[in-house]
Amino acid sequence: MLMTTDTLRQVGDLSIDADGPGTRLASQWLAKLAADFEVPFAELDRLDICLNEVLANIIRHGTHAVAKPLVHIVFQVERDAGGSLATVTVSDAGPAFDITTAGIHCRPASLTEAEPGGLGLLMIRSFSDELRYHHSDGNNHLSFAVRWNRSDE
Amino acid sequence: MAIQFEDVTDSFRRIKISGRLDMPGTEAISLKFTNLAASAARRVVVDLTEVSFLASIGIREFITNAKALQLRGGRMILFVGDNASVAKTLQVTGIDALIPMFADLAQADQAALA
Repeated sequence: MLMTTDTLRQVGDLSIDADGPGTRLASQWLAKLAADFEVPFAELDRLDICLNEVLANIIRHGTHAVAKPLVHIVFQVERDAGGSLATVTVSDAGPAFDITTAGIHCRPASLTEAEPGGLGLLMIRSFSDELRYHHSDGNNHLSFAVRWNRSDE
Repeated sequence: MAIQFEDVTDSFRRIKISGRLDMPGTEAISLKFTNLAASAARRVVVDLTEVSFLASIGIREFITNAKALQLRGGRMILFVGDNASVAKTLQVTGIDALIPMFADLAQADQAALA
């Protein structure tokens, strides 16, 4: 579905099961749209990383409370004279969780101290240029975006 | 997702992983990777040059197995070549400070055998 406003163009949406195959399907869908709308590879990679970590977080923490965990994903591209912005919004009905304010584990000083988990939030915050969250109608809505200049295309 | 290995010597093994280390990709190689990487006191170089995508679940495998290897007296080294995407992810997460990472294979081998 395409809608055009003065500054924003919605380029696609997808619903997936919150599981491993669903994450792969979401990445493939994102890659196809990014190619169609000339998102540079480096920016696609950042979006893909964030998308996978958001979905992994939903699968790990948010799928126990709902009978049929579904995730809805919207991809948007906005362009103006200054540059471009690609935004992915992920919505799910799991327990409310605001990634933008959640604490991040301190980096361990050694391999001995390192714990395998806790990297997803760090990756989402590190690879996105914008991060927004709100909870409404019983759903989490997390948007992450990447920016690039026209010269990078 | 593919995983291959080469025993350079009895105590030095190179493991090459190819494809996407996302959730399904990591699950597909996890058991074999553990068996290859952490089952003995070895020096292991993990070749990530053909990993097209690295998620935190993949990084988790490196940490878990590197720790297990260390406990057995072994050592894990990551070889990334010119895979800028994977190198960036390892740097952003600080993993390169925990498990040595090299772009040059000779340096990776040297670090593993040191």
